[in-house]
Amino acid sequence: MEDEKILIVMTSGPDTPRRCATPFFFATLAAAMDYEVTMFFTIDGTLLLKKGMAETVFPKEGGKPVSGFIQDALDAGVKFTACTASTELHDLKPEDLLDGVKMVGGAYMWQLAEDAKTTMTF
Amino acid sequence: MTEVRGCNLPEDLYYLIDKHVWAKPMEDGTLRVGMTAVAAKLAGSNLAGVTVKAKNIGQELAQGKSMATVESSKFVGPVPAPVTGVLLRGNEALASDPNVVSRDPYGEGWIAELKPSNWEADKGSLATGADGIAAYQAKLEADNISC
Repeated sequence: MEDEKILIVMTSGPDTPRRCATPFFFATLAAAMDYEVTMFFTIDGTLLLKKGMAETVFPKEGGKPVSGFIQDALDAGVKFTACTASTELHDLKPEDLLDGVKMVGGAYMWQLAEDAKTTMTF
Repeated sequence: MTEVRGCNLPEDLYYLIDKHVWAKPMEDGTLRVGMTAVAAKLAGSNLAGVTVKAKNIGQELAQGKSMATVESSKFVGPVPAPVTGVLLRGNEALASDPNVVSRDPYGEGWIAELKPSNWEADKGSLATGADGIAAYQAKLEADNISC
């Protein structure tokens, strides 16, 4: 069967830990269902991709850090893209982000949305 | 019943060891398939869902492609097809009680039924019998997995 594309737009960041596990879990699940999954990080979502940051964010006290959910998604083949403008908002340089994150502009997000069968925003 | 490192692994089933799934030929030429006791152990004890993707029913899936998904609080992942075949149906009982795949992985906890595309050719890629269980045991020892 032809792969189908899904886009997950992640705007939540370290200020709202409880909003930071499910988007990655859903992305991993969709990849397990053989969807081709891309996550687009913008606004505060981009902060989760800063090296070392996700290890310090716990959706549930005493539970698994967001870095574990991110790793599950990467292992499942989810692609990560980050909005260049949002890195400027947070004074981040591309090299500050996790390896493998693709830096893209806003127009790229619109193309992802147009190509995707389903888009979800968190 | 054959037990290896605490995992129940019957000799009469056919296993795709790397993916921890089994297949059992039925009298009508179809296959009943599911995940092994090892997969159930890896997924955790309290499963939130075992779901066959409805759109895949009636479609041919290649060996190793996702035919269903397993979710628990600590794990999410695919249940790969043990051989290439057309997905005929999923086990509807799993919707109300996904944990039956842990309690009875080779009985009531079967996951789907497939019409194999070329069983005679594909079964050679699966492990079965005493030799197959020995190969599975080697995998469990290499990965340090016990049930």
